[in-house]
Amino acid sequence: MTTEADISDGQGRGETLPVFRAVDLRKIYEVGETQVHALRGVDLEIGRGEVLVLLGPSGSGKSTLLNIVGALDRPTSGQLWHEDTELTGLSDRALTRFRRAHVGFIFQFYNLIPSLTAEENVRLVTDIADDPLPAEEALEMVGLGHRRGHFPAQLSGGEQQRVAVARAIAKRPRVLFCDEPTGALDSSTGIKVLETLAKANEEFGATLIIITHNAGIAAMADRVFNFLDGRIASIDVNSERRPPSEISW
Amino acid sequence: MKAIDLKLLRDLWRMRGQALAIAAVIAAAAATFILSVGVHESLSETREIYYERNHFAEVFAGMTRAPRTVVERVEDIEGVRQAEGRIIQFVTLEMEGRVEPIRGVINSVEDGGASDLNQMILTEGRGPGLEEAGEVVVDRSFAEANDLHPGDEIDALIYGTRQTLEIVGIGLSPDYIWAIAPGDLIPDESRYGIFWMGRRALEAATDRTEAINSLSLTLDHGASEAEVIRQLDIILAPYGSTGAYGREDHLSHAFLDNELMQLDAMTRIIPPVFLLVSTFLVYIVLGRMIRTEREQIGLLKAFGYTSRAIAWHYLKFAFAIAALGIVLGAIVGIWMGRNMTELYAEYYRFPFLVYQLSPETFASAAALALASAGLGAIGGVRTAIELTPAIAMAPPPPAVYRAGTVERLSNLAGFTSIGHMIVRHISRWPGRSSMTVVGVSLSLGLLFSTMSFIDSSSSMLETNFFRAQRQDVSVTFIEPRNEDVLYDLGRIPGVLRVEATRAASARLRHGPLSERVAIESADDEGTLWARIDSAEQEVPLPPAGLMLSRRLADKLGARTGDRIEVSMLEGRRSVSVVPIAATIDELVGSRAYASSATLAQLTRDRAPVGSALLRIDTNQRDAILAELQEMPIVLGVTERNAALVKFEEMIDDNIITMIGFYVAFASAIAIGVVYNSARIVFSERARELATLRVLGYHESEVALVLLGELALLIAIAVPIGCFAGYWLAQLMTAMFSSDLFRLPFAPTRATYGFSILVILAASALTAMIVARRVMRLDMVRVLKARD
Repeated sequence: MTTEADISDGQGRGETLPVFRAVDLRKIYEVGETQVHALRGVDLEIGRGEVLVLLGPSGSGKSTLLNIVGALDRPTSGQLWHEDTELTGLSDRALTRFRRAHVGFIFQFYNLIPSLTAEENVRLVTDIADDPLPAEEALEMVGLGHRRGHFPAQLSGGEQQRVAVARAIAKRPRVLFCDEPTGALDSSTGIKVLETLAKANEEFGATLIIITHNAGIAAMADRVFNFLDGRIASIDVNSERRPPSEISW
Repeated sequence: MKAIDLKLLRDLWRMRGQALAIAAVIAAAAATFILSVGVHESLSETREIYYERNHFAEVFAGMTRAPRTVVERVEDIEGVRQAEGRIIQFVTLEMEGRVEPIRGVINSVEDGGASDLNQMILTEGRGPGLEEAGEVVVDRSFAEANDLHPGDEIDALIYGTRQTLEIVGIGLSPDYIWAIAPGDLIPDESRYGIFWMGRRALEAATDRTEAINSLSLTLDHGASEAEVIRQLDIILAPYGSTGAYGREDHLSHAFLDNELMQLDAMTRIIPPVFLLVSTFLVYIVLGRMIRTEREQIGLLKAFGYTSRAIAWHYLKFAFAIAALGIVLGAIVGIWMGRNMTELYAEYYRFPFLVYQLSPETFASAAALALASAGLGAIGGVRTAIELTPAIAMAPPPPAVYRAGTVERLSNLAGFTSIGHMIVRHISRWPGRSSMTVVGVSLSLGLLFSTMSFIDSSSSMLETNFFRAQRQDVSVTFIEPRNEDVLYDLGRIPGVLRVEATRAASARLRHGPLSERVAIESADDEGTLWARIDSAEQEVPLPPAGLMLSRRLADKLGARTGDRIEVSMLEGRRSVSVVPIAATIDELVGSRAYASSATLAQLTRDRAPVGSALLRIDTNQRDAILAELQEMPIVLGVTERNAALVKFEEMIDDNIITMIGFYVAFASAIAIGVVYNSARIVFSERARELATLRVLGYHESEVALVLLGELALLIAIAVPIGCFAGYWLAQLMTAMFSSDLFRLPFAPTRATYGFSILVILAASALTAMIVARRVMRLDMVRVLKARD
């Protein structure tokens, strides 16, 4: 098993041990009487602490891949490992445990619980994680310590997304999955959110996997996977990651 | 079909679970309505037709003996249309292989069984000859219970003389629809039979040539019954009349009235509870549906659909559910109605009794169901009407939660985030949460109040058979005897104790109000008969004056200390003014009591023993019963145990079915309410629940959000339901009370426990079914959808 120390070793650029390894992942959805091939054989390795951006048109398979790697969904065929554990062989319960322990998610529409305050939304995670950050500290990290008693309806979109980020990083995750994290935000708010993500990557060595339509965000990645028709059509490797503040929107 | 109607059909199909759960509650309302109103109608109409066709009399009088010529004098009373005199004679029957006392009553009829009033219907065989000694027609229930057929013979002790009765026919008549032996609580068709015998033959057997002991009369339209009774009492006074009375005091008629009144009470309590709940359910389900369809409504309005068309669309949704409920309810109601009518046919002796659902009753049930569903739809439909296309097309504003009182409380309680989610969701939707609480409370209340009827019956059984009546056998005499008879009875081997009782007919007057009653008395040191009040306390007879049951005192408008006029209708027919020494709050009947000394003063005769109560050695029961039947002065013998067994049989025969119905109907409410609440909570929270799953919460932990909310609401509903049940049960026992008897309100802890368990089980199972959807939640799809 990987320990806390291993994670901090992997800080920064992640050419070391792969966190995820996938072989020939395929996903077929049955929609009525037709079959939709969402993934047509994806092989990949993702390194620890790596920042990855998935680009591609709608329906190209990036969200499907993210859901499978994030243990929200199962592939129709193929194999997926997290370190030395084969995720494709685990029960639903074990997948839940995996998410609970290691994975943070951030969605386009924030998915905060409207009946819980910002702090309580974060506590949803800290209540069940093994060694979480204190909820207050997580909110301080995203710059919302002063608004922790507010309900989602009392927060702006960018603030809500930052609460979602705080909720995702509070468990000190090994990996953060972000599905269009800035999709519903304007540029300056979007950059703030990306900055907090980058900070999580730096401070906890969390692998960051970001789906986006915004090609500009690719500049903050180590590698960029370009999706087309359920396959990774090409991979761009950035020699240097640029901070979100320098990204052109 | 129009596209918008296709939408309606598909919406119904999509929401079939919820629609069915509401339809079940409406079905329960329709079924109970169709049951109670339909049975009421069938019973009362059948009775009406039977009375009409067979000329059931309107005024009745009994007397010791009057010359037949008195009939003509009675017919001369203004307002009397027709009068008929009869001999009605109680007899003891002897049947082979039966040691228990079997009693009968023989009515005189003209040749071939004819009479002007209270006409007997022959269902088999022929009527008795006018003078043929021993030829009788026997009533159908007794014949069936004892396997008697024309040609069979029974020995009877008539007026002290043994005679063989030959059955020539089987019949029944409208004055014995409810035929109950004196001293019994419910009919026992195997031990009490009605007979008809030729007039001359019965005159000879009872030594009453050209004499009668009973009168029946019909009145002219608009005649005053009270005035006829007054004049009748004057004419009959010299003949030992026990006082004339109208139909409302005729035992058979009064019992049926009582039954009809109870059916009526049932109609007024039970269907409204279901209707109320169905209104709630339609309100919350349609309200939720319209909230989620805002955009569709906006779209339709943008296309040019009028508000009226949209309102009608959603009303049709409610009406479709009501229609399903009506159909289901009618099927169940008719089925139950038939069964219940069959049950009535066992206890009531009708020539025919069939359950018939009139179109009017069905229409009323349908109208009530549609109205309650329509009422529930109003709130949601109004929202739909008020939505403007532009607003409707924009997504609804997010649910706003604020910190409030509940908040501070839940913080104090140290809730986890899940706890906060549960509590805040409840306080965010106070209306719907309260309706869930009210619905579950009502289901519990309904179950408890119906179940407590079983407690009431056992309590009545306990009071009547174990505390009030402590004798093993009671013996009535042909006429009141002096005390020597007690020594005769006491000498029979195995008789352990003998006590005298007496009941003397009297008319009590207080101001303008008057009532005909029997004044009852017992030995001063008697232990075999006690008067038990509604608080289950034993009340002694007053040393002087009368003690009236509360109901009788109320009818006379009299209170303790008032003086009332007592006109004795037997003995020396004295008239005295006597104080009311006490009143007693009793469950059965309108009764009057006096000490034996007081009653002797009133009757002014020397025959203080009307009947005797015996405590016996049960090992010698058969010999004692045989000996009693040999005594010429004995009119009838009643065994307490036989009446008790019959009563218990009646309860046992029906109890499983009854509990089954009560549980099914009350559960219908609990299931309907919990299922719909759970589905709505689930649909509102699907996205939150999916988020929790994504965050790493296990299925069971996520289900807790859904189940926790329901559990909390149900927990609040339980104590409220117990209070509601307590109140509803009291209301029902009050509404089911009549002149004949009042049901005691005697709920037991077991009934509370049972009701709570049933409702908790129904709620829990229903919630589990919905919670299973949490397991099948498609996290990915839910999260992709925008709120």
